[in-house]
Amino acid sequence: MRKQFAGATAVGLSLALALTGCGKGSSSGDDSSGKTIRFVAAIYDDNTKGYWDGLIKDFEAKNPGYKVNLEMVDWEQMDRKVKTYVQTKQAPDVLNYNAFSDFARDGLIYKAEEVVSPQVLSDFTPTFVKQAQYQGAQYGLPFISSARLLFYNKDLFAKAKIDKPPASWAEVQADAQKIKAAGATGYGLPLGPEEAQAEFYSWAMNNGGGWVDSSGKWAINQKANVETLTFLRDLTKSGVTQPNPETTDRAKVFNQFAQGRIGMAIGGPFTKAGFIDPANKNLNFGVAPLPSKNGSSHDTLGVMDVLAAFKRDGGKNKEAVRRFLDFFYSAENSSKFLKLEGFLPVTKSAGDALSADPYMKQFVDALPTSQFAPTGNPAWSAVAGAVKQDLGAAVANGDPKKVLDGIQQTAEKAG
Amino acid sequence: MDGVSIAGRGAPASRPARLLARLRVLLAPLPWLAPALLLIGAVVLWPVVEMVRTSFLAISSSGATLGGAGTRNYKDLFDEPDLGAVLLRTLLWVVGIVVITTVLSLALGQLLNARFPGRRVVRWAVIVPWAASVLMTALIWRWMLDNDSGVVNRLLLDLGLVDEPVNWLAHPGQAMAWMMAVAVFVTLPFTSFVILAGLQSIPPEVYEAARVDGASGWTTYLRITLPLLRPALLIGTIINCINVFNNFPIIWSMTQGGPQHATDTSTTFTYKIAFFDQHVGESAAMAVVNFALVLFMVALYLRAARRSGATS
Repeated sequence: MRKQFAGATAVGLSLALALTGCGKGSSSGDDSSGKTIRFVAAIYDDNTKGYWDGLIKDFEAKNPGYKVNLEMVDWEQMDRKVKTYVQTKQAPDVLNYNAFSDFARDGLIYKAEEVVSPQVLSDFTPTFVKQAQYQGAQYGLPFISSARLLFYNKDLFAKAKIDKPPASWAEVQADAQKIKAAGATGYGLPLGPEEAQAEFYSWAMNNGGGWVDSSGKWAINQKANVETLTFLRDLTKSGVTQPNPETTDRAKVFNQFAQGRIGMAIGGPFTKAGFIDPANKNLNFGVAPLPSKNGSSHDTLGVMDVLAAFKRDGGKNKEAVRRFLDFFYSAENSSKFLKLEGFLPVTKSAGDALSADPYMKQFVDALPTSQFAPTGNPAWSAVAGAVKQDLGAAVANGDPKKVLDGIQQTAEKAG
Repeated sequence: MDGVSIAGRGAPASRPARLLARLRVLLAPLPWLAPALLLIGAVVLWPVVEMVRTSFLAISSSGATLGGAGTRNYKDLFDEPDLGAVLLRTLLWVVGIVVITTVLSLALGQLLNARFPGRRVVRWAVIVPWAASVLMTALIWRWMLDNDSGVVNRLLLDLGLVDEPVNWLAHPGQAMAWMMAVAVFVTLPFTSFVILAGLQSIPPEVYEAARVDGASGWTTYLRITLPLLRPALLIGTIINCINVFNNFPIIWSMTQGGPQHATDTSTTFTYKIAFFDQHVGESAAMAVVNFALVLFMVALYLRAARRSGATS
């Protein structure tokens, strides 16, 4: 009897193991009505989770029966998580990310018009709508934006007897030399794998260069880009940058800028609250347009993150997703997020609210002339990956033309 | 069921009945083994199968499966211009770290085995790097080696050994040397304790006999201690080889395998293919190659160990 019992227990145990092993670890799919959705949000800083918790509580109170499960993911983990979710068919209903076009290409996400009201759709600033399109249709929902400008240390400029920020590349070179002679680093150049593509594009666009030609084909090894990279290499080789730009990330440059040890660096709206204020609230710095080769016209690097809504069997999550997104995109809720996190608006209604702050206004004003990375091209992620890994070599021991040729090849292979 | 077993025990049993009885004996332990077998299947075998399967799939940059890819992922992988250098570097990384660690641990194990006041404290001190998270250790080393604010440069400058701060982690050769040093540092505790355990299992009578025969210290060590340590060394080396081969956090947090691929091992290379190049299929192919390399390494080592074990 006892033996039989033990045997039965063993069989039962293995059965239980087998069942739990095969059971699908589903966190969103178990809701049959489609009224519960899962939202994966990126952690921008310590305030992000508090904001979403509050917003979701509000949303659930105003929409009885609907429920939003929040999952916060660090940017460091984001790429890995998103790929895993998609691969294991556990994509969230709404995702906060920096890319959308490969989801659109693979038919995984809704078009924008399917998941937000016409009012919200028409509130997006046209610049950003263009960036959120894949093959002419808008899929991404612009979420936040950011722009880059030249930060310069006024005290170091005075010490080096420079009276205004540089407008042309020749002036950058000359000013950097003077600052170096005054005992500081002239220009902080972060070309490490963290965000080499943004730093490089900030310079290339102001020389008429870029990632694609007028027909939208990859043109990474075009003459203007080679010229740009050669200029950055010359800056490095003349010793006016910090040592080894190819392994430097932005945090290192901004920290040294905040300590008053770097004369110039390219930064964004977040640079003040994120780096300068914590180190030295009284740093005497100014913000100027990005220098261009000829010194006359100046473009700005624009950056945009998006929300994307994933399809679920037969579109049964559509109603819940639409309610949630419309709720977030109300002027009050979305501008609250921007102010909290120090980002720029993507909607017309949130725009005016931010222009009141003179520091932020400089960035808001720069947005209309901003150039974006080709995020509508699904191959961009792979190209950006190649740029991050390889571009820095050009200012170390590589040859600018050869490095760009290599990245061009990767881009053409990726599509 | 009972009927069968009675028939089985009965004197002139028919052939099929006998077979059934034998089968029953064979299968009897199964209910007790099944939980373990299922666990091994789910935790060990299934991921391997899944990995191999993925390496033959075409996977879009979004993560969606687009269908079969045949051997294209492997072809792409073997076309990578950096692959050869990465594999050679991985070999250097594993052999270098394991050899240096083992040599140092033999000395350290001997020290920990000796009787001296404060031995307990020293034993604890050796464990510390093991208890700390590898990621934290690597990050701290990265900051210590920083060219701008690192304590290593400060020290060398003050001692007059260098004229200006060196950006250690920006130069592939120096970066590799430092990262290997960190890997040795975190591998030492485990290895020296395995060796210590081995030393403690050697019966004192053997040493007594050696002393009576008039063997010198070195002879005793080479002829008695080392051969008797073989099982401990074998286990330590195999586990270290696998751990060091698969080590990701040290390289990732100190250089990210850069500049370019100059400090990548096959583990960080696998990660970069998936998340920089957006090529999940090729990355899975690289993972399969890694897995095969580990299996090969272990098989080779076990064979060598068995052969030397047989002759002694």
